[in-house]
Amino acid sequence: MEKILSIIFIYILVENFVLQRFFGICPFLGVSRKTETAMGMSMAVIFVMTLATLVTWLLYTYILVPFRLEYMQIVTFILVIAGLVQFVEIVMRKISPVLYQGLGIFLPLITTNCAVLAVALLAVRQEFTFIESIFFAIAASIGFSLALVIMAGIRERLEMAKVPQALEGTAITLITAGILSLAFLGFKGMLTL
Amino acid sequence: MKSDNVYLGDLTRGIVKENPVFRLVLGMCPTLAVTVFIVNGFGMGLAAAAVLIASNLVISLLRKFIPMEVRIPCFIVIIATFVTIIEMVLQAFQPALYEALGVFVPLIVVNCIILGRAEAFASKRPVFRSLADGVGVGIGFIVALVILSTVREILGQGTILGPDPASAIHLFGANFEPMALFAQPSGAFIALGLLMGLVNVIFKRFNI
Amino acid sequence: MRNILRLSLTLVVVGIVSAALLTGMYNLTTPIIAERKEAEYRESLQCCFPDFDTFETVELEEDKFDLLYDQDGDLVGIMATAVQQGYDGDITYNLAFDGEGKIIDIIIISHSETPGVGEVITTDDFQEQFIGKSYEDPLTTGEDVDTVSGATISTSSMIGSIRRVTGVAAESFLGVESEEIDIATVPDGVYSGSAPGAGGPISVEVEVSGGEIIRIDVLDQNETPTYYIESYPLIPEQIIADQNLDVDTKTGATLSAEGIINAVRDALSGALEDGS
Repeated sequence: MEKILSIIFIYILVENFVLQRFFGICPFLGVSRKTETAMGMSMAVIFVMTLATLVTWLLYTYILVPFRLEYMQIVTFILVIAGLVQFVEIVMRKISPVLYQGLGIFLPLITTNCAVLAVALLAVRQEFTFIESIFFAIAASIGFSLALVIMAGIRERLEMAKVPQALEGTAITLITAGILSLAFLGFKGMLTL
Repeated sequence: MKSDNVYLGDLTRGIVKENPVFRLVLGMCPTLAVTVFIVNGFGMGLAAAAVLIASNLVISLLRKFIPMEVRIPCFIVIIATFVTIIEMVLQAFQPALYEALGVFVPLIVVNCIILGRAEAFASKRPVFRSLADGVGVGIGFIVALVILSTVREILGQGTILGPDPASAIHLFGANFEPMALFAQPSGAFIALGLLMGLVNVIFKRFNI
Repeated sequence: MRNILRLSLTLVVVGIVSAALLTGMYNLTTPIIAERKEAEYRESLQCCFPDFDTFETVELEEDKFDLLYDQDGDLVGIMATAVQQGYDGDITYNLAFDGEGKIIDIIIISHSETPGVGEVITTDDFQEQFIGKSYEDPLTTGEDVDTVSGATISTSSMIGSIRRVTGVAAESFLGVESEEIDIATVPDGVYSGSAPGAGGPISVEVEVSGGEIIRIDVLDQNETPTYYIESYPLIPEQIIADQNLDVDTKTGATLSAEGIINAVRDALSGALEDGS
């Protein structure tokens, strides 16, 4: 229990996946223009990340390790994630068209979101148990969402600000992210596993 | 247009004009994460470039055999195979670098640059053009990583070619206190943002 | 139908080729990796023990000890590998002892302490104070070794860990008996003692009656409150319940817990010395 609570706290704030660990920077820069789209992306990531970690953890523990195929880890994990994203897309379209309209456009982008693969790999590397892995995935994706939504909020206001011409676009976004990351640095060392 | 010009164009396009990091803003995760030391930045760039060149080559060779519908899974498997090979090679021959890059070695597989080039270029073009494109974009990625890591290492550590004490050159005297900020994640964002601004200014000046 | 067949066939072929390639590569690199690790390890031992010939690895709870023998089979040294929770994550380090249990080197293998602050644990200035010390020395903050101000948590946790590992190595491999106190022989009375914790000395009062500890009060302490709560009153309760000082220290508050235990030990051994 104590460990699970620590995992949740650490991976939302202390080791924030985007701002401290640099996982998932592409979607962080790409879809943080509007709070609404950021929210949509966040929901899709939380869903896929948790599901992907659950499946890859089982696959690794019960198939790759017993057959001594650990070196096939990267190939199998990325295939599972890509397949899962496709599967979720199809199921969502059939069952809940409303949800699909909201989240559907983000799903293909998630395959190349390195945060998803990172969570799956790290859950195994850090030797988390099944339950810990699931909470790790949930916490990491919430951390991702938190960074994304905060960033979107800042960028909406930045639109109206006067930015030096050379820094327009990605440059100012990166510097803003740096300052945001500096704020999260305050949590450093608060808790470790 | 003469034929050798095509190859030259494919080769140089990725280095400056369409530099993957500074112009296209792709592959940001490893760019920001591993550039604490020049050695790590260069190693990461080299590993990613090797995967990119190999996957461009193989995908271009197989482009007529792979059906449209399953091309993405096939590309992913090919890229993942090369990434695993690179991981094993690093582990066997460059253990220090392997440790320093950590989980970012397997994450080369989701580097948008590689899948992007496979999908947009190699799957539609002949072998030698794809090869030239792979080399060009690969060099562009290495150049970007080396520039960023040079800035971060000088400011954040006060050295060049660290952390190995055998090769590290201390640029400033003993009284130098490094700006720890640039060794931290936040410094990576800020340094890259400022560099990108600088690149924008230079490009505008020379009309590239 | 034919189309689906073709699609799946392509995928299967790509998968099989990939698996075959990786298996070959894996078999090729695995022996190299193993050989390199072994060679690297032998080399790292060479630094401190130039004349060792063979080594034997013993794992005791969380620590690993390599016992090094020379060509005649005599113990020339011990290399301990231990992990300690620092300020920001685990610190993994080697502690090299000579054949008599004296510390000859400290090698930090990995740590994630704050650059420029907790990082001092890797410096010679901090490490040199341990060289030449052994299980006979107190290895205690303020007595023979010092923490570095500004990096108190990193350095004091290292000091505590080195003290513990030195003791374990001496007891397990050098035949040094730890001074176990037989509580039954302590005469009735109220005794006080003190020992260093994480934040300074901890002083306790121990009441013994009929050969049993019946009360332990902490009189003075300066521990980090959250750590202190984990150790107190748990540790005294456990000592009284077991009538034994060999109780489990709570991880995360090891220094505070050990401080309390050592203070009780100090009180009891003082009582025995006075009585005899």
